[in-house]
Amino acid sequence: MAKFNAMTQEWLDAWKEKIATSAEYKEIAKNWEGSVSIIVNPDPEKGIPEPIYVFTDYWHGDVRDFLICDKAKAESANFVMSGDFARWKQVAKKEVDSTKALMQGKLKLKGDLTYVVRNIKTVNKVIDLLCEIETIWPDEV
Amino acid sequence: MANGYAGRFLRVDLTEGRCSPFTVEDALLRKFIGGSSLGAKLFLDGFPLEADPLAPESPLMVMTGPMVGSGFPGSSRFAVCAKSPLTGIWGESACGGNFGPELKKAGYDGIVITGRAEKPVVLSISEGETKLTDASGLWGKDVYETTDILKETDKGIKVLVIGPAGENLVRFAAVGNDKGHFVGRTGLGAVMGAKRLKAISVRGEGKLAKADETRYREAQKAAFQEIKDSALAGSLHAMGSDANMDIGMINGDVPVKNWSIGEDFELSAALSGPTLSETYLTRTHACANCPVACKRIVRVPDGPFQTEEGPGPEYETCGTFGTMIMNRDLAGVIKANELCNRLGMDTISCGAAIAWAMELFGKGILTVKDTDGLDLAWGNMESVLALLPRIAGREGFGDLLAQGSLAAARKIGGNAVDAVVHVKGLDLPMHDPRGYHGMGLAYMMSNRGACHLQHAVLATEQGMASWPQLFPMKDDYQGTTSEGKAELVFHSENYGILGNSLSICHYLTDILKPETIRDAFNAITGFGLDFAGLMACGARDWTLKRGINNLLGVTAKDDVLPKRIMTPLLEGAGAGSVPDVEKLKREYYVLRGLDERGFPKEEKLVELGLDDLRERLYR
Repeated sequence: MAKFNAMTQEWLDAWKEKIATSAEYKEIAKNWEGSVSIIVNPDPEKGIPEPIYVFTDYWHGDVRDFLICDKAKAESANFVMSGDFARWKQVAKKEVDSTKALMQGKLKLKGDLTYVVRNIKTVNKVIDLLCEIETIWPDEV
Repeated sequence: MANGYAGRFLRVDLTEGRCSPFTVEDALLRKFIGGSSLGAKLFLDGFPLEADPLAPESPLMVMTGPMVGSGFPGSSRFAVCAKSPLTGIWGESACGGNFGPELKKAGYDGIVITGRAEKPVVLSISEGETKLTDASGLWGKDVYETTDILKETDKGIKVLVIGPAGENLVRFAAVGNDKGHFVGRTGLGAVMGAKRLKAISVRGEGKLAKADETRYREAQKAAFQEIKDSALAGSLHAMGSDANMDIGMINGDVPVKNWSIGEDFELSAALSGPTLSETYLTRTHACANCPVACKRIVRVPDGPFQTEEGPGPEYETCGTFGTMIMNRDLAGVIKANELCNRLGMDTISCGAAIAWAMELFGKGILTVKDTDGLDLAWGNMESVLALLPRIAGREGFGDLLAQGSLAAARKIGGNAVDAVVHVKGLDLPMHDPRGYHGMGLAYMMSNRGACHLQHAVLATEQGMASWPQLFPMKDDYQGTTSEGKAELVFHSENYGILGNSLSICHYLTDILKPETIRDAFNAITGFGLDFAGLMACGARDWTLKRGINNLLGVTAKDDVLPKRIMTPLLEGAGAGSVPDVEKLKREYYVLRGLDERGFPKEEKLVELGLDDLRERLYR
């Protein structure tokens, strides 16, 4: 299986492809509307000298833009999730559940929490599909 | 007198019609702090443990803690304690609202009530003055009506009230505080009813003395910021405790059809916090000094389950009157909640008893002949709503259920007991140990029977809170394993118990940093306890109550999970998984210093400073 460098456009494309080809996702996410951005806080020691901004967009079971973007674009999303690199890595490696990280304040969310809870199966499926990608992490290179 | 305390308690003898204040030594307050911990100590030292819970000589205690009335977020709590008429062992239930802070302002840290009034009475406490007045005219009225009548002359009073269920000694009768808050578990409303005490009203203007006002303000400011930053607080504000329904169903937490099915997503979607917010929610409501405001105010405007605007159901009630009985109509849950509130019944044990009856009805063990003509088919809310007043009034089939599901099953006999899902006689709350093994151990070992609130296991095992500064914790715990859970439960209990002895809300102990709670506690009391000292208070509380239960007959053989929970589910996140009870119990007994009989060892009692209990257990 191909490996991808974390937080790159190639990595995002692979994630988008995983989601787009998942029949299970299509069914679970049929009611989801809206974009989600991920902000990775800088951590020079882990190979993240600057913040990373990722924009992803979902619409009734389909996926739209998956982009490395700038701060303004990231902050325009319906839901903005931010956190340290180490936390995102734990989530992407399935070492920490994203909902738990959110509740414990290890990740922050801006957006309608009620909507997220209502659609928690969609959120979990997107994360599960991310976990399936063979990822090269900058602090492991 | 220690800071943070009103400095006196009220003793009420209803047989003699006498009220008199008494004090508790500061040394005892330092050791047991307050709330149900101090209540247990007073119970052990001053009362006949062997007495029937409904006998005049058995006490009913209303206890606060040192943080109550301070204005600190979540410090609105109080505990009601007694020997439980449902389980026959130590009983306690904590409640939010506003009664606790008002009692402190009125000049009392707690009330200890014994005896039995000749006629129904109301106990009134106002600015330290106490009186008992005839309540014959209130007897038979429901909790809401009684509350309204008591407040007619003074809207500022705060009240504790029982409904018809408490008057009729229903074994899971509750006590209401100003309509929206309930002392639900272990049947303490029946103890109040047995004493013919219809209500307690309080009014006070006093101010709490703090050891260090400046440090307290700093801790309070930190607390408000932590609440503002907390996703858990945001979730509770937006959706109430029922925010758990959607997530819980995915994680194998939510019981379905009397614990026999592992998942039903249509059911959880119909009954969830978001659905409640989008349909029947009219506004939110908060306990005294709480910015979280997790309480729901709801109204069903029309239809068969129409209600007035009033307190809405918690997650637990959406479980017992929803998923447990296969009712998909949230309006029906709201109506059942309103009826239980008015009648004064614990929605968990009441709903669990009905779920048990529905299972037996489905299996043909019970028929319409047994149920006085009620069709108890799964999800039949019309029958449920007809049954509730009969339970409170102890009429016909309702009288059978009023004794609690375990006692009812024993009367039916045969396999009926297998469908009762309880520990030590207390029905399980709505969290499935097959999805979370640590909760199974917490249920087995909780001192009031199966309980989700005498500890913080729910928060730590489900990942809502993480406290590596208190004890070694993993970043994430898988629910369906028993590995490492005994240690997690042991520490989470010791910390969670502090919520009860300090008398602060469990949600706030989950949301706030332990440092903030410790600093606020020390600024108020001046006790100067570090984490180790606070955790030792938690351990002392657990062991004290365990010892009381040992004296009441509890042994290792009672530390078990019910047959239903030891039967694996076929679907859902907990499918095929049951807690490894023997491993959990073995490891936990070592941590708690219990011997093979399930008694605290002498050296553990000495270590915790429980010499009186040691004397009672080993003399």
